Amino acid sequence: MGDIAFLLLIFFMATTILKTEEGIDVRLPQAETAEKQKKENVLEVWIDRTGRVWIDERFVAGEQLRAVLAGESARKPGLVVAFNADERAPYRAVSTVLDELKAANAVHVSFTSETRRRGGGAGPNR
Amino acid sequence: MKRPRGKFTLGPCEFQAASMADLGFLLLVFFIVTTAFAIEQGIPLVLPGRGRVIAKLKPSDVLEIRAHADGSVDAAGVRVPPNAVRRLVESRLARDPDVVVVLATDSDASYGDMIHILDQLKLAHCRRISLRSSE
Repeated sequence: MGDIAFLLLIFFMATTILKTEEGIDVRLPQAETAEKQKKENVLEVWIDRTGRVWIDERFVAGEQLRAVLAGESARKPGLVVAFNADERAPYRAVSTVLDELKAANAVHVSFTSETRRRGGGAGPNR
Repeated sequence: MKRPRGKFTLGPCEFQAASMADLGFLLLVFFIVTTAFAIEQGIPLVLPGRGRVIAKLKPSDVLEIRAHADGSVDAAGVRVPPNAVRRLVESRLARDPDVVVVLATDSDASYGDMIHILDQLKLAHCRRISLRSSE
């Protein structure tokens, strides 16, 4: 029993990700149709509630967006862009990134969201 | 009696390992309780890439849904409750399976509002969606 306990202990220690509260403050929207995202070849785009953009945890100013996305798309063919945008973010910020992605031919996107149970909730949180 | 300096004698030594299993279980319970597997979920979408041919559509083949900055929603020019979009699209798809739904979101509308409508379009099994930003 002790051996099994230690085996499980090592498994949990290796797989645990302790949640940290620091970083980009993003409240994800909820959706019923959210599907499991792939983890390989993913570019994480973060947009906070004010519309500021981070790409792979690096702040990117508006004028750098095109060059950064084009560079990432060229380096990783078949890239999937995961949008981790705050539900209160202005759509303008999301639309700007989407336009740049189309220009960079990075066409596979995923709008990261939390799963809402079927029939639960009347809409986005305000 | 005084022990001579630098000389140590060890008696019979035994390592008590009986409590190791308890400790193991304690840590195991801690990690079981605190573990959160990072499974990211999202709504997938394929954008039209560079060089894609622009399709011309008849207005009758398009259903435009507008999300306004104040959270209100218009479908084909008529104000509808945001939660009614799914039923509306389902009934339209039943009549016209090839309809293209254009989701025009106001630039000042919140991303959450847009995702809420996109989610309803996906629930209605709408496959042909066009995202547009409107001022």
